[in-house]
Amino acid sequence: MDVIWQGLKEGFLLIIAMDPEIVQITLLSIQVSVSALLLAAIIGIPLGTVLALKEFPGRKALLNITYTFMGLPPVLAGLLVFLFLSTSGPLGYFQLMFTPTAMIIAQVLLGFPIVCGLTARAVMAQPQEVFDTAATLGATRRQASWAIIRESRMGIIAALTTALGRLIAEVGAVMMVGGNIKGETRVLTTSIVLETRMGNDSAALAIGMVLLLIAFLIMLLILTLEKRTFNDERRIQII
Amino acid sequence: MMSAEFRLFNISKRYGQREVLNIDNLEIGGGRIYCILGPNGAGKTTLFRIMSLLTINDTGKLNVLGDEVTWQKNQVVRLRRKMAMVTQTSFMFEGSVYYNVAYGLRVRNTPAAEEKRIVNESLELLGMMDFINQPARNLSGGERQKVAIARALAVKPRVLFLDEPTSNIDPASALDIERYIQYINKEMGTTIIMVTHNLFQARRLSEEIFFMWEGKIIEKGETQNLFENARDKRTRSFLIGETVF
Repeated sequence: MDVIWQGLKEGFLLIIAMDPEIVQITLLSIQVSVSALLLAAIIGIPLGTVLALKEFPGRKALLNITYTFMGLPPVLAGLLVFLFLSTSGPLGYFQLMFTPTAMIIAQVLLGFPIVCGLTARAVMAQPQEVFDTAATLGATRRQASWAIIRESRMGIIAALTTALGRLIAEVGAVMMVGGNIKGETRVLTTSIVLETRMGNDSAALAIGMVLLLIAFLIMLLILTLEKRTFNDERRIQII
Repeated sequence: MMSAEFRLFNISKRYGQREVLNIDNLEIGGGRIYCILGPNGAGKTTLFRIMSLLTINDTGKLNVLGDEVTWQKNQVVRLRRKMAMVTQTSFMFEGSVYYNVAYGLRVRNTPAAEEKRIVNESLELLGMMDFINQPARNLSGGERQKVAIARALAVKPRVLFLDEPTSNIDPASALDIERYIQYINKEMGTTIIMVTHNLFQARRLSEEIFFMWEGKIIEKGETQNLFENARDKRTRSFLIGETVF
């Protein structure tokens, strides 16, 4: 109990003191996870929409693969990226191992199936009426597809928040391809692992608090945007 | 040859083993209010969807507004832009009443000032100006239906399809909407093709009726004449309310 109490106190002090090392680690964590989320969104949202709307051979298989990869273990994602980026790997020439870029690539691998799969679900949940209404009002196929995406945006935002939650909290992939190098690839989650291994449980807990605070602030930002977008949304009232 | 807005020749549609539509020959002229009547499962909705280019027919030739339909992408959009539809549920996009009414204009890249003028004009016609900034999905059934009609009118369609436009609303609102339908037809010259289960409404509004049974049009004619002198026993039975669904 003392460790937890000590950890909470230290965490509070860390946040107040703005320790330069913690600030650097925190900024790198945000940079890696938010970049990975953006890339996952850029690839995942259009692909999820295509999987939901287009009929083509292998579509169901692709959807099932995407759903399976939503549960991809971070360590396995890390291993795959490691095999590709290590000096003997096919992309070893670029010398990306143990850099934030490698960490972003590994996190894209984790975040992309979540964004893609949940976007596909959100789009498929839309009624036929969305297309019919848009089409009978003169929309082209592209414009009608955009209307469907627009109607699905609550589900797409849920996909983004779910993916971000997974990325900011994962440790296995970034540890494997980043190496937890101080000042270069150390992020909040790998710091927690390091401090715990060194027996500094309260310090680990303190960094965990910072991580939670960051996650909360990013989610708050997304939810605020969501509220702004959906301020006209009707909610089910259970009385 | 008489000009017709729609010409259907040997049009059929199957869903699995079941043939839901089989039209030998059908011509629908222009400028009037036409009504498609028939019991549930008669194929009214399928016919409606094929004519409004939302469903592709399996066989036959379809001529819409003077064009032989090839289902080529550009042709479909060009023809759809001359028509509009109001459905039974009046689906509303997420957003304000303004956004919904402006949608058809935006997809046509209408300039902003023009868009605003037309939206205001359409909502005023339907008596819905007070709702312009309200979330469309918070409206009542009758209000939604009026917004859906305003939305359809904003694009100035040559043909307006109405799929049971008053089935979910109270009698007062239904009468209101009937008045608008007549106004749109008489004053704006829009051809109206509607499906309704309300025989009184069909009699009040339409000038010509197509009666459907098991995917076929078994009788057609001027409304008054059909109500009084239907030749087919099934039509007579339906029109006097004997058919049990």
